[in-house]
Amino acid sequence: MFRNTYDSDNTVFSPQGRLHQVEYALEAVKQGSAAIGLRSKTHAVLLALKRSTGELASYQQKMFRIDDHVGIAIAGLTSDARVLSNFMRQQAMSSKMVFNRPIPVNRLVSSIADKAQVNTQEYGRRPYGVGFLVIGQDNSGPHLYEFSPSGNSYEYYAMSIGARSQSAKTYLEKHYEKFADCSFEDLVRHGLHALRETLQQDKELNVNNTSIGIIGPKSEHEKSETPGGAFRILENEAVEPFLQTMRSKEELKEEERQALDASKAEEATGTAAPAADDDVQMSG
Amino acid sequence: MDHFPTNWGRPRNDAIDAYGTYPIHSRPKNDQDAFSAGVQRTQQPIVTGTSVLAIKYKDGIMMAADNLASYGSLARFKDVRRLHPVGDHTVIGAGGDMSDFQYLQTILDELTISEFTAQDGHSLGPAEIHEYLAQVMYARRSKMNPLWNSILVGGVKDGKKFLSYVDLLGTTYSASTLATGYGGHIAQPLLREAVEGREDTLTEEQALAIIENSMRVLFYRDARSLNKYQVATITAAGVSISESKHLETSWSFAEGIRGYGAQTQ
Amino acid sequence: MTSIGTGYDLSASTYSPDGRIFQVEYANKAVENSGTAIGLKVKDGIVLAVEKLVHSKLLVPGANRRIQTIDRHIGLATAGLLADGRHLSNRARDEAANYRETYNAPPPLKAVADRLGLYVQAYTLYSSVRPFGISTILGTVDEDGPGLFVVEPSGIFYGYNGAAVGKGKQLAKTELEKLDLSQLSLREAVIEAARIIYLVHEDTREKEFELEMSWIGPETNNTHLPVPQDLLEEAETKAKEQFEFEDDAA
Repeated sequence: MFRNTYDSDNTVFSPQGRLHQVEYALEAVKQGSAAIGLRSKTHAVLLALKRSTGELASYQQKMFRIDDHVGIAIAGLTSDARVLSNFMRQQAMSSKMVFNRPIPVNRLVSSIADKAQVNTQEYGRRPYGVGFLVIGQDNSGPHLYEFSPSGNSYEYYAMSIGARSQSAKTYLEKHYEKFADCSFEDLVRHGLHALRETLQQDKELNVNNTSIGIIGPKSEHEKSETPGGAFRILENEAVEPFLQTMRSKEELKEEERQALDASKAEEATGTAAPAADDDVQMSG
Repeated sequence: MDHFPTNWGRPRNDAIDAYGTYPIHSRPKNDQDAFSAGVQRTQQPIVTGTSVLAIKYKDGIMMAADNLASYGSLARFKDVRRLHPVGDHTVIGAGGDMSDFQYLQTILDELTISEFTAQDGHSLGPAEIHEYLAQVMYARRSKMNPLWNSILVGGVKDGKKFLSYVDLLGTTYSASTLATGYGGHIAQPLLREAVEGREDTLTEEQALAIIENSMRVLFYRDARSLNKYQVATITAAGVSISESKHLETSWSFAEGIRGYGAQTQ
Repeated sequence: MTSIGTGYDLSASTYSPDGRIFQVEYANKAVENSGTAIGLKVKDGIVLAVEKLVHSKLLVPGANRRIQTIDRHIGLATAGLLADGRHLSNRARDEAANYRETYNAPPPLKAVADRLGLYVQAYTLYSSVRPFGISTILGTVDEDGPGLFVVEPSGIFYGYNGAAVGKGKQLAKTELEKLDLSQLSLREAVIEAARIIYLVHEDTREKEFELEMSWIGPETNNTHLPVPQDLLEEAETKAKEQFEFEDDAA
């Protein structure tokens, strides 16, 4: 990355009309370990890769419950995440108290986006160094949103943030059209495949470093009933049955080859080359 | 924005924003001026409306209120609208102080516009409006400055009928027939008799007849009522508030009362 | 090309020797890098249209709105830093609600645009804040009839019959000048707006885009609403046709 005279203050535009401090904050998100989100017609799912500082240490929690119908996965500065998630909880609680209704998820995400925007415009403040993937459900079904320190929020069918998330995004872009009608187990399997793409060379997904957040009706691998499809986090042993459903990379390559053969007639140009780090955009 | 570097990073207002992350540019204000020391709280309602009635019927909710705002014992304003639509799903009707009711209409209008501007497919239904009003009313009573009203909130959203009551104390109550003020004493037994158990079978004509009958009894007995009233009907199709109706009454019995009729002794 | 301020451009509270405030000019650059937004004021109403550049195919179509509603009868479209756009729409809503509370009447567009202009301008006065990186198109039908304003990052605002901001501003303005706006009906304006956005997008040849449009007029009872799906599809089909003719001609 370049260093220049226009990047030390929050309140300075560069001659190209860019805000470098905000762009550097986006880098902080990329330092965090990966988090994936995807949704179908019935469920919305978050998957996150947890890190630990060493063998003796516990793994950093990546998911938080905001309300029965909203949950988040974070990537970036955990302390900033705590502050923002606390704010989200206050907003959600306020809606319940004043209107007796669960807060519409898009409004919740917009509220933190607007909060984050203020931090990009005033001197003496710094942008938040954390990005969220937010899943929730309301009467229009399950939703997935991405929040970024620039103050932008978008709704997606599937998304990934954090370290090496571009590889996961490539996987998601290849398969996202299937997600809407996926069964819950298939949805999680896709998510795990995508998460696996973000791993470093000799690492693998296991019960310690994988957590799954779910909104929607209970699945067959879950032990307890969750009324109303409320947000819950599966960790440690509870994740094992889902890890078992994963297919190896070789198997996936084989499937792809077969699919490609099947459509030999059409000149498959495939997906457009993924643009260089398009994680989050600032302007439309 | 805060132009004073001495304020940046300063202690924040913990009650509102514990982590000091939102722009709180003003330091906590401790200076109450002399004028506010003489400010009084609401002691009594001045221009008042009387009962409001409401029942659940097959298609939704029916609510009625007369067009009178009394100034003590004077029947001062005879074309007042005490039923007010809120959004597309709800009607509120209020008795009690009319200026406080006008204030409530203003804040509910603000709320409706605010919800409209979100343009995201969500809208406030009767349950949410009722909860909001209950919070407002209770908060005001806790400050010893009540909005002196008894309010009925009725509506239909997502196929569900809703009817509930909230008053100046913040008390809430829900039933299939509700009435405020004198209506609670005089009309409620009539409404209960006619409606309870039949909320899903009463037709619109039957419901209208029940309401009209109760309004008539109220006009005979409530000395602060009027024989001109409106009826609001809320169904899945939306809200409709009728034009003012006239109540036919018969006062011929008064002929036989000494001092009122032809007889003088 | 870009004029480098060299030393006079590090804060909004510094003038350059030739009397320019470079930070405000750089803010305009942010607008120029963004997708185009246009507004048309016609005989009986207003149409707003935005070229939403889609940065990922994972985005849910129709979900990430760029055009916001202020009060019942005012529409607001921004080009530039989207987060700043949201900040300004929230402020516009507060101003409109405040006007309504003070005067007990729906706010005329002139009043809202005026207040927004003042607000935006305030952010160009101090080194402790940065200017807004957005140009905002405001449209309404109020007691004075249809109205259209554009507020720029400097805080200046003008009324327009046709307005364009963003990347394709020049081309869009040329197209708008060709039209006789005062004679168009609202429906015709919707078709024209879609055509112009498609034309402008062809020129830039960037990523995929999504067209978002809204209107205010007699058909919406002077309320600001998104253009209904069937009319939107009709406008898009007609807009795409203009390129077929070109291909045939070539």
